[in-house]
Amino acid sequence: MFSRKLVLIVGFIVLIAVNIIGLSVTSRRSTTFGIERIAISAIAPFQELVTRSLRFTRDIWRQYFYLVTVARENHVLMNQLSQAIKNKNQWHETELANTRLRDLIDFQKNISERVVAAEVIGKDPSAWFKTVIIDKGEADGLSRGLPVVISQGIVGQVIEISNHYSKVMLMVDSNSAVDSLVQRTRARGVIKGESTDQCRLEYVLRKNDVRVGDTIVSSGLDGVYPKGLRIGFVSRVIEHDADIFHEVIISPFVDFEKLEEVLVVLEVQKQDWVSRQ
Amino acid sequence: MSYFFNISACLFLVIMQTTVLPYLPLMDKFYDLLIPFIIYLSLSRPVRESLPFVLFLGFIMDNLSGGPFGLYLTTYFWLYVGVKGVMTFIQVGNRFFIITLIVGGGVLFENLILLGAFAILGSRQQFAGDALGIIAVQVLWAITTGSLFLLFFKNAQSRLGVGFKRVYARTKEQG
Repeated sequence: MFSRKLVLIVGFIVLIAVNIIGLSVTSRRSTTFGIERIAISAIAPFQELVTRSLRFTRDIWRQYFYLVTVARENHVLMNQLSQAIKNKNQWHETELANTRLRDLIDFQKNISERVVAAEVIGKDPSAWFKTVIIDKGEADGLSRGLPVVISQGIVGQVIEISNHYSKVMLMVDSNSAVDSLVQRTRARGVIKGESTDQCRLEYVLRKNDVRVGDTIVSSGLDGVYPKGLRIGFVSRVIEHDADIFHEVIISPFVDFEKLEEVLVVLEVQKQDWVSRQ
Repeated sequence: MSYFFNISACLFLVIMQTTVLPYLPLMDKFYDLLIPFIIYLSLSRPVRESLPFVLFLGFIMDNLSGGPFGLYLTTYFWLYVGVKGVMTFIQVGNRFFIITLIVGGGVLFENLILLGAFAILGSRQQFAGDALGIIAVQVLWAITTGSLFLLFFKNAQSRLGVGFKRVYARTKEQG
């Protein structure tokens, strides 16, 4: 009676209409039948598992890259820090050297003689003798017997010389002697080394006044050291009843353990003798 | 090879002693590091090889020190001869103990010679107290560390010899 084509068209229209009615009915209902709950309950744990796994993997991946980046950054920062520490130390050393050299330059301005700056490069291998090696020699105009000083006071005297290096006998060596004066009273004496960190002022007559704390300066009469250079201060005066001299212990102003740069005074003898003649 | 080792060791010890050790805390009164080396040369190396080094070391140290020239030459020479003599006569099982005593004795011997020179130069008696302190500290250091230095020298030289022989053999094979 009806063609097959017509039946299909009508059926299709009815299906669409039912679908629309069904959708309109379900869209107005807020409650569920319960089947959704079952589906959710069945699927959600797997979803959760998979999602968490994915997140976990993603987090690990991200953390790994983050850690790698942090590790690299850390490495770079550590390098920068060590470089900064090294620079800081270098600047501190430069600052200290600058201060010392400024002292030396200021001191150099105060003395009329020509001087050569030198660096201490070695110490005496023996504990019994007090000498140092400096990095200036004959090629720089040095010769034996020249005085060596720093801003704090007298250091010693050049005793051996090579082309580019010299050996300096420190004032505290037992072979050293410096003609000197007590600055306050002008009492004369001779400073002799003891191979310790102290010296002894000898041949100061007991009639002369010497007190603890008095400053000792060079007299210039030995023909080696210029007059008026600081040597040390009196740390002890020992009186002996049967002696015509004071026994005076001197603490040098120069710290011989920390000597780094020194000034060698050139041609002091010639200048002195010429001026005296 | 042993000449190379001896020269290197000499330079290293002399430079350490005059530039590094004086500035290290507790080490400023350290004993002469060349004494264990002299004793090592005396004990382990033939006279033909070691005696020139002993004299060379004495010469170098005399030049670097502020003392009268010849003090270190004298000290090292007699120390070398003395140790050779002592080891000829002494036959003891505990060699380590003997070596420790020899190093301590060597340091004491050197200090006595230097102190003798110091006294002859007219230094004051007041220094005697300090001198005893210095000698005591140096001898104690020598007793505690001297034999270690000797072992180090012996070990270093034998390793260097073996290494050198290997390199020489390889070069010969390749050539």
